[in-house]
Amino acid sequence: MTPLLEIKDLHATVADTPILKGINLTINHGEIHAIMGPNGSGKSTMSYVLSGRDGYEVTGGDVLLNGESILEMEADERARAGMFLAFQYPVELPGVAGMSFLRAAVNARRLDQGEDEIDQLEFVKMVRAKAKDLSINDEMLKRAVNVGFSGGEKKRYEILQMALLEPQLAVLDETDSGLDVDALKIVSEGVNMLRDAQRSMLVITHYQRLLNHIVPDYVHILANGKIRRSGGKELALEVEESGYAGIDDAA
Amino acid sequence: MPESMMQPDLQDVAPVQGVRASALARWQERGWPGPKAEAWRFTRLASLDKLSLRPADASLSAGMQDIAAAGMPAAAHVIRFHHGVLVDASLQGAPDGVTLRRLDEAGLTQMLDLLPADHPVTDLSMAAMTSGLLVDVAAGAKVTTPIILMFTGDSEAVSTHPVVLLRVGAAAHAVVADWHQSAVGLSAPLLGIDIADKARLDYAKIQSDGAATTHLAATGIKMGENAVLDGFQLSVGGCLARLEAHVELAAESSDCRLSAIYLGRNSQHHDITTNMTHAFGHCQSNQIIRGVLDDSARGVFQGKVHVAQDAQKTDGQQMSRALLLSRKAEADAKPELEIYADDVICAHGATVGELDETQLFYLTSRGISRDVARAMLISAFLDDAVDMIENADLAALLRPIVTDWMQAQKRNDA
Repeated sequence: MTPLLEIKDLHATVADTPILKGINLTINHGEIHAIMGPNGSGKSTMSYVLSGRDGYEVTGGDVLLNGESILEMEADERARAGMFLAFQYPVELPGVAGMSFLRAAVNARRLDQGEDEIDQLEFVKMVRAKAKDLSINDEMLKRAVNVGFSGGEKKRYEILQMALLEPQLAVLDETDSGLDVDALKIVSEGVNMLRDAQRSMLVITHYQRLLNHIVPDYVHILANGKIRRSGGKELALEVEESGYAGIDDAA
Repeated sequence: MPESMMQPDLQDVAPVQGVRASALARWQERGWPGPKAEAWRFTRLASLDKLSLRPADASLSAGMQDIAAAGMPAAAHVIRFHHGVLVDASLQGAPDGVTLRRLDEAGLTQMLDLLPADHPVTDLSMAAMTSGLLVDVAAGAKVTTPIILMFTGDSEAVSTHPVVLLRVGAAAHAVVADWHQSAVGLSAPLLGIDIADKARLDYAKIQSDGAATTHLAATGIKMGENAVLDGFQLSVGGCLARLEAHVELAAESSDCRLSAIYLGRNSQHHDITTNMTHAFGHCQSNQIIRGVLDDSARGVFQGKVHVAQDAQKTDGQQMSRALLLSRKAEADAKPELEIYADDVICAHGATVGELDETQLFYLTSRGISRDVARAMLISAFLDDAVDMIENADLAALLRPIVTDWMQAQKRNDA
């Protein structure tokens, strides 16, 4: 079976500075991979390169989703093809009503797949049901996107979007940053509910604690733009104890 | 005479008397402002010299088309001006409490008192008046049926000079839309608004004139004690447009909201100029101005707030923001506060910016196309101002025009 995602010798620059220096990674359907690494190792750059953000230039290698290169695709096309990025810092959109934003996103995907736009009532019902699992109340749904949300609320709102868009590949960029223990639990439970045999995830994190809640199948250590070590979930614990020092040389 | 080829050409206009004769004399002496006039620094009128215009008359009213417009309230009373000439039938069937008649000398004198003084548009259109109308709302009358002043025309060889005086009597309430959709050479309407004590006016102006039309409007507003104006101006049409409004808060405790949106593309030029005079204390004024400019369009906001020495407890707010969608678009803002009282809350601000790339990425990363994402952000930017309109009928008139403009935007980008 074709892997869901294949990253082949990926090189990328930001403002002409090389950040990714030859990433190789294969993710099969249903797998959860964690990428850990120190600050500045290229973790967030990797999430933006995968999701197609402007300003992140691929200078070599390829990224295949279901066997097809996505490098020529715009961010919105990648999203409709099944990619989802949960932002480390979700963006506030003053004046953009939350429900119309969510509906626009769901409909963009549906129209692309040749389906009709979702029925308004059915949509509201669906959002409410999924929001409830993430302790998101109606008042929050009525607000402008991310405006006036606490850090934890923003992260829960990201997971709500993921639940509605049902991506094939979800990239979670430091989803644990800025969360207290309770918020971390809610977010992780939300993510775990979305685990299934067809959906894969790439969990990017600095700390091991997130991986106690979202237990990965594989752990990779990214340092200085390359994956230096790969292993099972026990690798995260090892890094937690010994830190990232010396990882650079391990490749 | 300052210019040999001053446009429009008033040579053949019938002789005028009284205040119109004095206006004509001032116009002939001064003409259009020269290149050094500070008030017209951002809006040059040189393009008018290239035209050959004469004021319209009733002979052009044949061939008038019916008007169909989205969002037009079913129960509205529409008063039509074709080429600036009042269509007689419009005077019939006014809502209860509203009297419509032609302006007489007393009305013209009151107009001059309300309008910006020593102003080229005031003087020109008083002199060259194509029709004058008085709309009188009786004291105490609550007229929620919208009165729509509708201006049409299709001859680019003419200039139009409709003059309308709107008086809202004490404790009365009126809802008025002032809608310009003329394809003429020069559209130069004058509007005087007198809102008496405890009266309320909901007012919306829509400037959606033809693409070759120069629209130069002068509006004068006077507000009595505890009077309320919920006013809005939308400038979207024309090649060059200046919507100039002077407001005098002429008694205590009045509340004036006068927001505006301008939307420009191609080489359009929109100018919103306001002059808010707080002559008495305890009044509020609030202006939210939003502009969106594409291609090489240009937008200007000049807003002066004057607070007289005795106008204590004044609250005067003004905020202008322009959004540039193209590198060739340009916005200028000149907010001015002139405060002589010491116990006031006044604030103004002006920003010019582009669509936020981070916000666009967030939307597109959810599968929303870039065009739709842009439209969502532009719409969010404008809603701030449109949401200020309290009257549902007026909001319903304006919204489709803003939406249409953005739809055309998407087609342009495609």
